[in-house]
Amino acid sequence: MEKRGKGRRSERPPVDLAAQLKLQRESFVSTFFKKGAEFTEALVAENDRLRAAIAEAERDNAALRTQLASDEAIRDLLRKIEDLEREKQALLSHVHEAEAHSTQFTNRHEQIEEELANLANLHVASFHLHSTLRLPAVVRHLRELLQQLVGARVFAIYVADDVRNELVAIAAEGLTAEQLKPIPFGATDSYDDAEGAIERAFVTGIPTIEEGVLGPDRTSPAACLPMRIDDRAIGVIAIHELLPQKRSFVSVDFELFRMLGVHAAAALLGAQLLMAADGRAPGVEAFRGITPSVFPKSAPTP
Amino acid sequence: MSAEYTCLVVEDSPMMRQLLVFALSRVKNLKVTEADDGVDGLRKLAGNRYDIILTDINMPIMDGLKLVKRVRTDPMHKDTPIVVITTEGSDEDRQRAIALGANAYITKPIQAPQVIAKVKELLKITG
Repeated sequence: MEKRGKGRRSERPPVDLAAQLKLQRESFVSTFFKKGAEFTEALVAENDRLRAAIAEAERDNAALRTQLASDEAIRDLLRKIEDLEREKQALLSHVHEAEAHSTQFTNRHEQIEEELANLANLHVASFHLHSTLRLPAVVRHLRELLQQLVGARVFAIYVADDVRNELVAIAAEGLTAEQLKPIPFGATDSYDDAEGAIERAFVTGIPTIEEGVLGPDRTSPAACLPMRIDDRAIGVIAIHELLPQKRSFVSVDFELFRMLGVHAAAALLGAQLLMAADGRAPGVEAFRGITPSVFPKSAPTP
Repeated sequence: MSAEYTCLVVEDSPMMRQLLVFALSRVKNLKVTEADDGVDGLRKLAGNRYDIILTDINMPIMDGLKLVKRVRTDPMHKDTPIVVITTEGSDEDRQRAIALGANAYITKPIQAPQVIAKVKELLKITG
């Protein structure tokens, strides 16, 4: 030791070396711990970062799952909307169908009501025409029927005089005596005026009825209605003008005219015959032989 | 089932009356009473309440316009709807009837659906 100490000469004293070593060791330890602490801190930080990343990943995952579920719910809702749309269309189609049916029913109902009203008109007209056999009453009812039911303002009822071969006005409204002069029938010449139209309707038995809105400058009556019973011509009803509020004949008028052609003739002739017989009906004997099995032609001998 | 509404028809023509009664028979729960003319109408109105009155204008003894005037002075029927039915179609007659207190005006020849619609409208009957 001494030799070595003697051989190597040192400029510094050995105390300084130990202190230096100590310092170095302390510095090393300090650095070591410091680095360790830093490393630990870095590890903790990394750990935190990773935890945060995991948490974020979990959140993302949860969000994705929610979104996925939400997408599924949306798809379900869309499917439901489509179903509901289809249901709505079906219901609308049903509603349209029902509305069409309802309109049909309403129209049909209106039609039936109108037909019923027309039938009532015919029934009332026929009922009143045949409600009496007194000639004045029959004529009054006929006038009333033309005024109230048809709405005739100017008209005349002609009955045939078979002796003079002319049509004689027996009732009228809105016409002067001059306009109501007898109209000869069956002559070789025919007239083109109002009288001609009335005469032609009587001779041919064909009614003439103006359709559509009645014009103001007509020369012939708006309607000439022959009254016939069986094949016998009784007379003619001539309607010249309608009430101002009625501008044309309507469907029920045509039915009324058809009915009048026969029923007015029967009512007038029946009342005329009863009047001619002084109101005495022929009695039950008149029915004899009509149904021989029930009421034989000749009375049984006592 | 008892009638909910009552109606008085004043018309001198039996033919028109029958037609009006038929038309009104199409209105559910409407009981119709008939009168031959204005005087008969007033007799029927005395002491009886009607929900609606239909009257002709041209009638003997007492015409429809006089009847309307009388009905409007009757406390029981001063507000009863009145429909006037006449052969006259001019605006002047219409205005005269309305001025006297009629609520509506129908011209002859009557159409049953028109009468039904007018009565329902005035009685506020739907369907």
